[in-house]
Parts: sequence; structure tokens; C-alpha cells
Amino acid sequence: MMDRHNPLNASFHGSMRSRDSSSTVGSDAREKIKDCFRKFIAFMFTQVGVGALVVCYAILGAAGFMHIEKDSPDEQLEEVRRLRLNCAESLWNITITDNLFNETAWVLKVNEVLKVFQNNITAAIHTGYNGRSAEDIWSFPAALMYSLSVFTMIGYGNIIPKTVWGKITTIAYACFGIPIYVLYFCNMGKVLAQSFKWLYITAHECSRRDDTLFEDGEMQPVKKKITVPSTACLWVISFYILTGTIMFGAWEKWNYLDSTYFCVISLCKIGFGDFVPGANIADSAGGSHLKLVINFIYVLLGMGLVAMCYNLMCEDVRVKVRELREDLKNCLDDITLKITVCMNDTKYYHQKNSRNVK
Amino acid sequence: MMPRRKRRLASRIRDYVRGLLAFLFSNVGVIVLVVAYTIAGAFMFQAIEGGSEMALDKQMSRARTNISQYLWHNVTLALNLFNETEVKERISSELVHYQSTIVSAVHKGWDGGRSSRQWSFSSAFLYSLTVITTIGYGHLSPKTDWGKIITILYALLGMPLFLLYLTNVGELLARWFKCIYALACLCRGCPGFTKRRVARLRPQYELSEAESIERPPAWRGSSDVTPEDPPPRGYDRRVEYYRSMSAPQRAASPAPRAARRGLSVPARRSASLSSDFSYVTFDAQAITVPISVCVTIMVGYIMFGSMIFGMWEKWDQLDGSYFCFISLSSIGFGDFVPGERVYTARIETSFIVCSLYLMLGMALVAMCFNLMQEQVMHYFAGLQRAARRVARCRR
Repeated sequence: MMDRHNPLNASFHGSMRSRDSSSTVGSDAREKIKDCFRKFIAFMFTQVGVGALVVCYAILGAAGFMHIEKDSPDEQLEEVRRLRLNCAESLWNITITDNLFNETAWVLKVNEVLKVFQNNITAAIHTGYNGRSAEDIWSFPAALMYSLSVFTMIGYGNIIPKTVWGKITTIAYACFGIPIYVLYFCNMGKVLAQSFKWLYITAHECSRRDDTLFEDGEMQPVKKKITVPSTACLWVISFYILTGTIMFGAWEKWNYLDSTYFCVISLCKIGFGDFVPGANIADSAGGSHLKLVINFIYVLLGMGLVAMCYNLMCEDVRVKVRELREDLKNCLDDITLKITVCMNDTKYYHQKNSRNVK
Repeated sequence: MMPRRKRRLASRIRDYVRGLLAFLFSNVGVIVLVVAYTIAGAFMFQAIEGGSEMALDKQMSRARTNISQYLWHNVTLALNLFNETEVKERISSELVHYQSTIVSAVHKGWDGGRSSRQWSFSSAFLYSLTVITTIGYGHLSPKTDWGKIITILYALLGMPLFLLYLTNVGELLARWFKCIYALACLCRGCPGFTKRRVARLRPQYELSEAESIERPPAWRGSSDVTPEDPPPRGYDRRVEYYRSMSAPQRAASPAPRAARRGLSVPARRSASLSSDFSYVTFDAQAITVPISVCVTIMVGYIMFGSMIFGMWEKWDQLDGSYFCFISLSSIGFGDFVPGERVYTARIETSFIVCSLYLMLGMALVAMCFNLMQEQVMHYFAGLQRAARRVARCRR
């Protein structure tokens, strides 16, 4: 809806302004104002604007989900408590009715009861029991992580909506959030790709200046368009993952493999949810907010970096494929040419021979 | 004679190789590749992870024995047995402790000993599918170090492959869908038929063109200002052209809104009037399918899925559609997972149908994105034109 209105608005405003100032400067100022508006809109729909939009959307979603899910009745906590009481009751019954001097029989029976209890608990966990009440789970940081995981399509699944309205809201939130996120992804990818390319080319030229200085005059007109090689992108990504590994490893007391695993699974948008930084963050109320913000930024920036690499690698692969195709074509042409020349030669030779024989 | 034949042979071989490559990198080949990759992954993860769950199972049964021993020694023997409340309290506190052990074990991937083997082939298959589709339910996750490493590598290799599958199959489906849409909704699928039909309609069009009120003013205005800014592409113009052309037959068409677009006239209008309409080509691929149809398809697919899964897993309608949506948008929370509840013989079918549903659904989403993107670009072009018009009018 937004982009539907904005160009119209811009031109409308531009024309309004122009009517005021048309007597003095005329179309010049009008053009300038129009340009200004255009730039502003372009800015809003790129880099910072989209980033701010994404962050705002996440915060809005966090507040909404917190509001919806916090009031949900804790049926499951009650249920689990009831299960536990039942189990204690049956244990007491065993103690009363059975012979108390036969240890193995008693242990066997208790084991049975415990097994039933355990199965019940497992079933409860599978339906979402977490050992924590809804208010503990849906703290603001956790809700923020939740909304992030919805619209980036990571879907950790450590926190899930339990109410009907929570589910419906999640679906609607994803419907609107995913396009916004895709916009962010594309924009961020483009911007980062451009800046990284510029950086790379600058570095490249700086390093190559000495070698190609003497043949600069000849090189300039046939200068090839530089594309960033895929390896550079991979280096950047692996460096980013390494940073994340060390950071999360230090904070969450994971070992390095787990930490790397978490980073890769997050940045690939798989999001199993067996390792989630939010789980610990929600526990400690104190200095968690800074950690959370850094975590949030890490994931968002990482997505941007992935988009950048995707952009650059696409370009690189396209160029490589084109080169390969040209090479193949040249090679085939060469071969066919050689064959024809060879054949012609032999033909000529044969003709000559036959003529000679005659 | 010889070189020509030889070259023909070479070119034929080249054609074969090219055909093979094209096949491999297109539709069927990609599908086969994805399925094979997933099956290979399933076997691999089964081999790697199969052993670890046994260890966890043993550990849990040991924990259970421990707590019953503990209860025997510290509660039954140590306490006064005729004080019921005290004993119950004590047992309860022990149970709370035990319960937290269970919770952490389940979070580590233990299944409560309900299914004999968690990493059966079908679940491993579903696991590798969720990795490469980036759904990542997370109800199964690798526990061993090697499992994690292999998962990372598997994802890095598998995701581009699946992306290839998505683009290929999405494009293919989009093409088919356009054909079907043209056939069903616009009743002008095959090119020859449309050509004839339009040839029939042409005189009417030329008659009605003068008093056509359907034509927006932009069109009239832009025809004399085109030289200073040539239109970006053919389609915006084409639609306007067609809109006025389809006016006479609108009453007959079942979907009047949809009938507006559909035929392609690649050349300019000025050219169209001068030449004898011989350039008119009608291509089903030039049709843009309206967004509402795409949305309807997605909603229908999700409803269909929710029906199937609801039947199997005893979910209600909301939960079923929630599951389908979360899966198809590749979010994948993992709170609802097919086959998790039903530990019967049917689990195999359910897994197979589920994986089919997911793969087809992903391709359908890609298709809808394809179609919607086209349509949005189309709208955007119209918008740009409108904005330009407004700016010009105010001058």
C-alpha cells in the first residue's frame, strides 16, 4: 500500500509547492523539490529506512505477542502438577499396601509408576510444556526473538504460541512480515554487495598498481569488469560465523562446535531450536537486554551478509559460466576448423594425387 | 562429403550432451537429484545418529532406577511411615527434581521411550528434507558431534540444490498454470484459436474503438507524448490496448476482472493501426495471473493440507492450517509435527505424503511468487504511468 501512495503524494506535493513558487523560479525549483522528495522516498525504501522498518515491525510484533500470550491460562502447569500429585499418591499407596521389607518388589513397582509419570511428562513436553509459566516465557526479549524468528523464517520453536489468537496473529504477522523481510534482504544485499565490491576493487587496484603501471595505456581500454570472486565472499561469511561462534560460545557456555552449529543453522534459516541464545537470556533478567540487542543485530546483519554473498556469488557464477561457454565455443570452433582444414587438405591432396596420376 | 558428415556427428553428440545437461538441470533431473540427495542424507543421518539415542535411552532408565532406589533408602526407610502428608511432600519434592531431569532429557532429544527408534528411515528422510528446505522443525536434531558437522555440510550443499529445484519447478508450474488459467478462465488457451477469435473480433473492435469509454485518458494522452519518453516495456501498453479490445466480449467471459489481461500485442498501437494485424501473437505466457488467484491457490492448498493432516493427527482445523502455513513458509517451529502423535503402522505413509506435500507446496509457493511478482511489476508500471500522468496534468 505504501509504495502505491508515495509517488502520487510526492508528485502532488511537488506540484503544490511549485504553484506557490512558480512566479519566481518556475520549473527549476519544482524539479528540485520533486528530486528531494524522490530522494527521500528512495531513502525510505532503501538501507536505513527498510532496516528501521524491520526493527519497528519486530518490536511491534514483540509487544503484540507479549500482550496476547501473557494472559493465556496455565493449563499445562496445572496439569503437570496434578500428574505429580497423582504419582505421589500412587507411590504412597504402594508403600501402604505392600510388604515393606521386600526391597526389590517395592523398587519394581515404584519403577512402573515412575515410568507412567515419565511418559505423561514427555507427552506434556511435546505439547509445549516448558517448566515455566507463560509470564516467564513471554518476557520482552523472548518475544522479540520470537517475532524475529517468525518473519525471518528461522522458526526456532523454543517459544510457541499456545492460544488460538496467538496462532492466528502469527499467521497474519508472517504474511506481512515476510515481504518486509524480503525487501530488507534484497536491499541490504544490494547495498552491502555494492560497498563490498567497491572495497574489493579499491584494494585490488591498490595491490595491482605496481605491476600494471607500465602497460596502463594499453590496459585501460580493454579493462575487464572486475567481479568479486566467490572465495572472498566465503571468507567474509566464515569470518562472520567465527565471530558469532566465539561470542555465543563465551556467553552461553557452549562449546565451539555447538556454537558454530547454532550460527550456521540460524544463518541458513533452518532454525532447529535445540540451541537458542534466548533461552538463557530470558532466565537472567539483569544484563540480558544488551546481549539481546547484540544477538538481534547479529542475526539481522548476518542475513544481510548472506544476501550480499548471494548477490556477489550469483554475479560471479554468471560471469564464470559465460566465460566457460565462450571458451567451450572457441574450443569447438577451433576443432571444427581444424577438422575442416585437415579434411580439405586431404581432399586437395587426393585431388592432386589423382591429377598427378592422370 | 566426409567433413560434413563428421561435423554432423559431432554436432549430434554435442546436442546429446547438451540435452542431457539440460535434462539434468531442468525439471525431472532436478527433482530426481533432490530426492536422491534427501535419501542419501536420510541413510547418512540414520547411520550417524542411530547409535546415540540408545545411549540416551539407557541413561534415562538408569536415572529412573536411581530415583526409585533413592526413594526406597531415603524416604521409605528413613521416614516415619505413618505420617502421610510428610511422606507425600518428600516424594513430591523428589518428583519435581526428577521431572526437571526428564524435561532436560527431552530437550536433548529423548523421546520418552515411546517409539523404539527415533531415527527410523522415514524420520531421517523428513529430517534431511527439513534441512535442505530450511524448515527445520527441530523435533529431531543431531546429538553427536559428527551429526552436527555433517548437518552443516549437508545444509551448505543441499540448500543451493533445493533453490535450483524451487526455481526450476516453480517456473515450470507457473508456465503450466498460466496455460491452465488461460484455458479455463479466459477460454483462449491455444494460440491458433485465439488468433482466429481475435480475427473475428477485430472489426468490432475497430468500430467500437472510437467511442470506447473503457480507455483511460492516460492512453490518449501518452500517444502524443511518447516520443520524449518511450514506454519501459511492452506490457503496460499492451494491457491498455487489450482492455479496450476485450470490451465487446466482456459480457460472455466468466471472470470479467480477469478478462482484462491476457493477450499480448508486442508492437505499438500506432503500428497496429497501420499494419494488417499480422504481427499479433497470442501467447499464454504473456498473461499475468491476478494476485487473488494465487492467494486462493495457496489458501486452498493450505486448507487441503490441514484436512489431510487433521484426519491423521487429530488436529483441529486451526492447528492443521497453522502447521501447514508454518511449514510452507519455511518457518518450522516444530510444535506440530506429522507422525509425532501417531505411532502406528500408518506412520510410513504419513511421512511419505508429508514429504510430498512439503516438496510440492514449496514449489507451489515459488510458483505463486513468480506469478505475483509479475503481477506486482505490472501494477507498478501502471502506477508509474499514472504518476507521470498526474505530474504532467498539473503542469
